[in-house]
Amino acid sequence: MVASTTIVAPESTEETTAGGFHVIGQSPAHHDFVDKVKGSLHYAADWRLPGMLFGRVVRSQVPCARIAAVDVSEARALDGVSAVLTAADVPNNRLVEMASGGLGELEVAMPVVAGERVRYLGEPVALVAAATQQIADEAAELVAVEYEALPGVFDVESALADGAPMVHDAGNVLVTWQIRAGDLGAGFEEADAVVEGEYRSQHVEHAYLEPEAGVGWIENGVVTLRVATQVVEHASAIARMLGLAANKVRVIATYMGGGFGGKEDMTVEPYLALLVWHTRRPVRMIWERQESLVASTKRHPFVMRYRTGVRQDGTITAQEVEILGDAGAYPYLSPRVLFAAASLACGPYRVPNASITSRAVFTNQVPTSAFRGFGAMQMTFGYESQMDRIAERLALSPTTVRERNFLAKGDLLPTGETLDTCVEVGATMHRALALLGEPSGASGPTTRVGRGFGCNMQPYGRTIWFRDHASAWLSLEADGTLLIRSGVTDLGGGQAASLCQIAAEILGVPLDDISIYIGDSALNPPAGGTFATRQLYMSGNAVLKVALELREQVTKVAAELLGGSPETLVFAAGRVGTSEASGTSLTLAELVAACGQRGVSTSLLSTFRATAGSFDPRAGQGDTFPDYTYGTHAAEVEVDVETGEVRVLKYAACHDVGRAINPMRVEGQIQGGAMQGLGYALTEDMAIEDGSPQSMLFADYLIPNSLDFPDVRVAILESGEGKGPLGARGIGEPSIGNAAATVASAIQDAIGIRPSRLPMTPERVLALLDEAQALAGDEIKRRNA
Amino acid sequence: MVAASFEYVSAASYDEAVQRLVEHGEDAKVVAGGQSLVPMLNLRIVRPSVLIDINPAGSRPPEVEGSLLRLGALTRHRTLLEDPVVRQHCPLLAEAVRHVGNVRVRNRGTIGGSLAHADPTSEIGASALVLDADAVVRGPASSRTVAVRDLFVSYLTTTLEATEVVTDILVPVLAKGQGWGFREMVRRSSDLAIVAVAARVDLDDAAEVVRSVQVSLAGVSDRVVLADPALLAGLIGTSADEASLARIAAEVADAVSPESDVHASAAYRRRLVDVLTRRAVRDAFDRARGVEKAA
Amino acid sequence: MTAKRLVTLRVNGREHALWLSPSDLLVDVLHDELGLSDVRYGCGEGVCGTCTVLLDGEPINACLTFAVQVERREITTLLGLMGEDGSMHGLQECFLRLGALQCGFCTPGMILTAHDLVERVGRPSRDEIRYALIGNLCRCTGYTKILDAVEEYCAQAAPDGGAAR
Repeated sequence: MVASTTIVAPESTEETTAGGFHVIGQSPAHHDFVDKVKGSLHYAADWRLPGMLFGRVVRSQVPCARIAAVDVSEARALDGVSAVLTAADVPNNRLVEMASGGLGELEVAMPVVAGERVRYLGEPVALVAAATQQIADEAAELVAVEYEALPGVFDVESALADGAPMVHDAGNVLVTWQIRAGDLGAGFEEADAVVEGEYRSQHVEHAYLEPEAGVGWIENGVVTLRVATQVVEHASAIARMLGLAANKVRVIATYMGGGFGGKEDMTVEPYLALLVWHTRRPVRMIWERQESLVASTKRHPFVMRYRTGVRQDGTITAQEVEILGDAGAYPYLSPRVLFAAASLACGPYRVPNASITSRAVFTNQVPTSAFRGFGAMQMTFGYESQMDRIAERLALSPTTVRERNFLAKGDLLPTGETLDTCVEVGATMHRALALLGEPSGASGPTTRVGRGFGCNMQPYGRTIWFRDHASAWLSLEADGTLLIRSGVTDLGGGQAASLCQIAAEILGVPLDDISIYIGDSALNPPAGGTFATRQLYMSGNAVLKVALELREQVTKVAAELLGGSPETLVFAAGRVGTSEASGTSLTLAELVAACGQRGVSTSLLSTFRATAGSFDPRAGQGDTFPDYTYGTHAAEVEVDVETGEVRVLKYAACHDVGRAINPMRVEGQIQGGAMQGLGYALTEDMAIEDGSPQSMLFADYLIPNSLDFPDVRVAILESGEGKGPLGARGIGEPSIGNAAATVASAIQDAIGIRPSRLPMTPERVLALLDEAQALAGDEIKRRNA
Repeated sequence: MVAASFEYVSAASYDEAVQRLVEHGEDAKVVAGGQSLVPMLNLRIVRPSVLIDINPAGSRPPEVEGSLLRLGALTRHRTLLEDPVVRQHCPLLAEAVRHVGNVRVRNRGTIGGSLAHADPTSEIGASALVLDADAVVRGPASSRTVAVRDLFVSYLTTTLEATEVVTDILVPVLAKGQGWGFREMVRRSSDLAIVAVAARVDLDDAAEVVRSVQVSLAGVSDRVVLADPALLAGLIGTSADEASLARIAAEVADAVSPESDVHASAAYRRRLVDVLTRRAVRDAFDRARGVEKAA
Repeated sequence: MTAKRLVTLRVNGREHALWLSPSDLLVDVLHDELGLSDVRYGCGEGVCGTCTVLLDGEPINACLTFAVQVERREITTLLGLMGEDGSMHGLQECFLRLGALQCGFCTPGMILTAHDLVERVGRPSRDEIRYALIGNLCRCTGYTKILDAVEEYCAQAAPDGGAAR
């Protein structure tokens, strides 16, 4: 057995949260995990209704064109085809995202099915439903679209150039965010050195193993969609699209085979809804893997330009950051992603004078949107690269430079906010480095070994000015079992199971006696989608709140029956009893019965509301996120200087998670996130050239396999100071951010050069080595001349 | 996508497969392991109207006949990896197959299918080529033996007639004083090779210097190719010293004209040819001299 | 469209007579016709492993096999490893206990492949396990807990070290 969890309370903790938990802090495997290991969980594609049809989206094969004509006659005539729909068949063919409030934000509508023009290769141009998938695929091929090519733009810099073709008539810059703190000029004047860097990242695909999928049908006049989605609240957008009342659409979220943000926007939903609405039959849609690779939303490629002023002792005096995010052809969540990027551009460091500008820029490429880390993740590569460059310039160690700049509780962020929870990033740094153990030697004459690390800060919880809230309903049943109803959706990270664990702790109901019903826009109290690492914070707190309020409600009855005072009662193992040695207790069933006799309800609905706030986009000051999770990863790599290949020998990760509700699941999230980060760092690239993906094969999209990377050694810190339930901090996103910076840092240690472009492919590393050799050669010639 | 419709016939023998090919013509395709062909059907890149399943024809176990290892065309990759006869007499092939696909692919993929598919990055193709293997091919009228070096014509294209099937592959067994080397570069383990180099070195009777050397290259052209023997001639009589290896590997690299694709540029592939040729020939020389080498 | 034919499939010890087209893939027949939710379409290229089934005990890509090709052969899915009474295979228990699954989509294929490895090798090393599972992609766990679970199972199944078959 390798990576064991080490749980360490850092010395700086002021008070440890009360121990003595029965279920919290344990790692039971329950609920959906049991069905999953048996293979009996019904994912979105595991659903069949009588008369079900099979759907297919017909997609553009060109990146930028006017649609001159669409001929569906042959497709419609094919035996077994029930419907072929085009733009004309969509009642309200415009999806508009809620305004984010950024500067100069364009309102850009996205057609559900393109009618006049296509703006990216893969944009839907028709929909098919047929008796079998094979017939649907035949019909899709028979849809004849006539395109007139238009000039397009395929990178952010070209899109910003004078005279660039416009992706949308309103312009190519979707939105601008700025954050301004202090006096930038004065800050640079104070600096003894200025370090500049430009960093670039790539299009990344979520590559969940479960393709986008769902089944739709009409029941009692309600369009019902059972789909793999992170957000059931899209039901209202579907209703608007169909011209229906909001209560005529229901979205049921299945347990997903991975989401990572790729199922946060609608995927199959609008197309299923249209086909169901037109045919009045159940319809199933499963995206082809290759279709998903080409056309599903991606992570934003970023161009990040940093200018950092530092004193001789390494402390930062000023930082100027420019971020360009490639939004692709339509807005989706780009404004929010670029806001998160701007907010986190400085990382976990004190920056008294800052000017950050971030822009989302349209291109004629696949739209980009949410992906684990959501903009803040990409910035880690930027700010950590800067810190290492600063260390090199000033001849300070990378750890020293960071320690001199790390934020602390009570510090001001560039947004003007005060950090109100502890910052244990320094402790995570030392812990991660320690986990690497003894240095490895090089395996041969052509390899070099190096070590590095990367610190990060990732927000959890939605932006404060969205007035986030989540509701939950808990009910103690007559037999003492518990029902939880929550609109939460489950990506596979135990979102639902964690809520059961919290309720089990508070109400003393054994985990096996809890049933949870999630993700149904018609039947569950709304909880908001599962994204922004918000579910533990929001729904966790919601369930905690409801459980505590419910317990208070029934405690009075229990106290009456048991003769103790309410504060002394203990709920555990299906019973409630006094904590004194006399040990009288009731079963929960007996308590429920007693409540019933007294007219005391044993069910409760309640809402947790996050603190509200506001942000001034012009001043670049205000409230951003509720809190952050801090961590550090460390790595040892070996570089083959003849081929540029980088092999990761050892890898370690340490995050302060506040409190680990389920330590095994927390460790799993960290390991999985780190592995995705390693793919982002070294091998993953959804390369697009002139608007056309260079490959659509899953074989060519290189996510990490079981052989090429080492075990991620994990240490968890529990500062107890998170804003989630019982002091927890979110851990869904944070662990993906560190890897790229960590590996770059290790490569720099090995070969003396730091890559600034992702992914750090062997070819790119070799080119850097060649460049360094050429420079060294020039230098020698210069000296000898 | 679901594959376009096709008729399905199964062939209980190679002769029957040939008959079916004659019967159905250009629109028919033979499926063996299916690990390369069926993805193309699933993506509708190819749409045969008839699929001839040759799996029922079966295969004998690998067998040494004199100085040749006979492998039935339907020998599964897994057999090449695990069979003691193959591992002993043709270790290059066993090593090359270790890099092919995964457990599932190797349980079904066949050597006959691989060679007939003629992928330009094929590790199996590179190995068969460098070892001067022959393919026994059966047609409607007769059987013929064709050297693997005469089999690969261009991208996914061989000299097989539309009505021919491969029935056996004959590989010279590892001889005394002979060594092999196999080096490849992949972006992710078990993926298709970016560049793969297979080398065979025969030593002189004193087992000190190179008597003959052959190198095959995958991933540098529209098919697996042999490095120009004229370029390699400079190694003959040497002990594969670093300087000679460096010079000749550089020339071999200069002589190739690879294409750029999503995984590697042409220039980078050329660099890999240089490095991997050096390393593969070095390994072959060392093995010829009896030095144990980790793969 | 080609005429359908009657095909008899033997799945998890039971025979099923089905009207199938030659172009019906085994993954789709098992999932859609027989309702086996533990065999899943993931890529159609044979690279991801979610469609893994055992054919006469050997893991294969159900997405690269036409159902007509495997008539009367023994097909085993994850369900087939479990007891008649629904009891879990030891590998499943280890996966569950050690947190070797999150979203669960790769899990049936992963367990079938691990099962095949242990049947062949008895007590594989961690590197051998890594190599055997190369074609079963996981996007959630980072693989460590999966490797731990397979090792744990082997340790339980053959605590004295076992012998390679």
